[in-house]
Amino acid sequence: MSHVVGIDLGTTNSLVAYVKNGVPEVIRSSDDALVPSVVSIGEDGTIFVGREAQRRLLTAPSRTVYSVKRFMGRGIDDVRDDASLLPFTIGGEPGGVIRIGIAGREFTPPEISAFVLKELKHRAEEFFRAQGEFDFEVDRAVITVPAYFNDAQRTATRDAGRIAGLEVLRIINEPTAASLAYGLDKRNRGTIAVYDLGGGTFDISILKVEDGVFQVLSTNGDTHLGGDDIDNLLVQMVLADIAGSASPAELIQVIRKAVIQAKLDLSDADATGIRVDPSPVLPNGYQRHITRAEFEALIHPLVERTMAPVRQALDDAGLEPGDIDEAVLVGGSTRIPLVRKKVAELFGRTPHTELNPDEVVALGAALQADILISGRREMLLLDVTPLSLGIETMGGVTSKIILRNSTIPASGREMFTTGVDNQTAVDVHVVQGERELATDCRSLARFKLRGIPPMPAGLPRIEVRFQIDANGILSVAARELRTTIEQTIEVKPSYGLTEGEVERMLIESFEHAEADFEARLLIDARNEAESVILATEKSLRHPDLDVVAAELKPGELERIRVALSDLKQVMTATEREVIHEKTHVLNHATQHLAEVLMNRSVREALAGRNVTDI
Amino acid sequence: MTDPIPVRADSAPECRTCGAGAPVDEHFCPNCSRILALGRHGDYFTFLGLPRKLTLSAADLERRFRELSRKFHPDYFYNASPAERLASLERSSYLNDAYRTLRHPVSRIEHLLAIEGMPAAKSETEGAKVPPSLLEEVFALNEELDEIREQRESGVDPTALHARLEVARDPIDRKREEHETRLNELATRWDSQEQASPQDRRATLEALRERLLERNYINNLLATIDREVESLSALRLADAGSGSGDVQ
Repeated sequence: MSHVVGIDLGTTNSLVAYVKNGVPEVIRSSDDALVPSVVSIGEDGTIFVGREAQRRLLTAPSRTVYSVKRFMGRGIDDVRDDASLLPFTIGGEPGGVIRIGIAGREFTPPEISAFVLKELKHRAEEFFRAQGEFDFEVDRAVITVPAYFNDAQRTATRDAGRIAGLEVLRIINEPTAASLAYGLDKRNRGTIAVYDLGGGTFDISILKVEDGVFQVLSTNGDTHLGGDDIDNLLVQMVLADIAGSASPAELIQVIRKAVIQAKLDLSDADATGIRVDPSPVLPNGYQRHITRAEFEALIHPLVERTMAPVRQALDDAGLEPGDIDEAVLVGGSTRIPLVRKKVAELFGRTPHTELNPDEVVALGAALQADILISGRREMLLLDVTPLSLGIETMGGVTSKIILRNSTIPASGREMFTTGVDNQTAVDVHVVQGERELATDCRSLARFKLRGIPPMPAGLPRIEVRFQIDANGILSVAARELRTTIEQTIEVKPSYGLTEGEVERMLIESFEHAEADFEARLLIDARNEAESVILATEKSLRHPDLDVVAAELKPGELERIRVALSDLKQVMTATEREVIHEKTHVLNHATQHLAEVLMNRSVREALAGRNVTDI
Repeated sequence: MTDPIPVRADSAPECRTCGAGAPVDEHFCPNCSRILALGRHGDYFTFLGLPRKLTLSAADLERRFRELSRKFHPDYFYNASPAERLASLERSSYLNDAYRTLRHPVSRIEHLLAIEGMPAAKSETEGAKVPPSLLEEVFALNEELDEIREQRESGVDPTALHARLEVARDPIDRKREEHETRLNELATRWDSQEQASPQDRRATLEALRERLLERNYINNLLATIDREVESLSALRLADAGSGSGDVQ
């Protein structure tokens, strides 16, 4: 039987998890759970995903896409502000789907996300194969999205899954998935707040848990607020320091890498340095000291911005902060001490952080996948739709049909009629959002009700039925009540792909499967080579290297250095055999050195020194 | 948006799986025990197994909602036939609508009026008419509001005007409390009228409907005051001259 998995398709990192004997587990590849959500296109057309693509942010920034989740289901007008710091170009018709231009090709955000999903699918399949499973295919998945994602963003995520060759069992909300993973139903019944600050999005969900039912009372958030924004503030601070110089893509990427490291350091340390090594784009390099206090002053407005959605969600649930029994932190950005402090202050309690905030969402997604497949009924998620659904009426005013925070699935209906005699078609504009005017809401779709029997104006009674399914995705049906003639509806998604486009992309991805398989083997070879290079470089930097050199054979270090540089030279080669061979040579050359260093560590440890000191 | 659900047939109370007939308010087929299509369904009260009464226990309602959710939810029909999946989707949606409607006292009354064949208490023409019980307050409030707006435009200190608004709000707040009490009394009367004559029951429904129109009117008045408070607050902020801390 083929496998089902849960996938957290993140802005910065993505993960895949599965359930074994009722217990969810993240699938790792050499201890690494995270697949960076980065896609890069090689000079020869090879698609790189994950760590390898992340490395190429520095070497080939204009061929590399990151944080594509921010563009899912959005239009060019929504993201113009983001474009300035991006190394890739974004385009597309106003009011249509975004086109990302890299390496002379154009991709839609779902296609880029599909590359990440395929990588996760592959990782899981390799894992099941290694477990000795006869049928290791992964063909079905639950994929998570921010709770505050609108219909277009959810649909784009589902399309990405389909393009990647996955049957998307369910789209579920990240905070809800996290609460499932925490198994809060077993320890508590009560009211839970899940605060989820990820790489690009912020969500707050308030849930009530009782008898194994996780009922979301309200949700709110900002789909454009997260770790990326913190990184951008730091990048801009550094760019301001290096006043005057232009800021090419390469420079921004080396700065981004340096400030992200500093940000991570400041979660533990009180101060750290931001260090950019000299390079052609920055000949003098860059260095500055930054304290946690300085960092907190810089990001304080961003953290404050999360508080308005939290208050709104509490208000919508009819609760006060003191009514919350448990608070749960999700998302890598909740490692920032200031964020933890603010959440603890608001709810007056220490939030849960027992589970890895990067992994908890994927674990919950795997649990949900297991529930769907097994029919287990101990737990049930009852989620809500984050935004009101409405239609544009006369004068451009929104008429709400399904209110925000309605439990899904939810349905609603609206009656339409004609304005002139013998009118046979009516235009309908579906929008999502809380604002009064349709132009201030998100346009979801426009469609035409056709085939209305010719009647005097105002006589036809056309019932349009809106159905939001358990994925939070909308479908529309209509009929004329006087004649019970069913109406044909051609829905044109405003910021999405048409059914035909998704089909075509799926076919293309099958056509490329063979080429992709070759490319995959090449990437595997490069990844293996990369890890051997990193391990070797680490050994060569070992502080005790001079001491152990005496134990090495004459010329041994030199042989290692030659093998290392040989391998580095063929890294960009397209013949994987060559890479394999040079990797093997380097591996062989370093075997003795590794043993010597290991023995020395053991001796040191026995002599009473702590291993971690070595 | 890509998978429009089939429009359901209006006239089929029978089971789509085994073809047997089933009572309108059964959730599962008595013959083959499969989930039934929504078809011709009863009202929200009967759907949840409740009597058609306005007083109900929130805890009991919630328990019924959870129990039925566990029976209908699409999560549990993933491997079922398309007909059952559609039935699960429709029945869950209906359950969610029913729970949301009955949870709040006012929407509960609105639903009762609808299923008892009363016109909706939202009619634009009626909504614009001042309910007789409010004539005096509305007249006083409108005068006061006109004056406050005039003074605001001619630059009178917003803080002082703010205090006047609070005073103007008081009688409306009192009316609102009075209204709540009367609405509750009517709800209790309805619940005790099971055996009463159709005329008496009809009279209670008429009175409930009057109350809802009055309620809409009071809420609109309060919203008008809130809007005025907001424009004053905006003025005070502008006066303080501080730039907003908004980073968006």
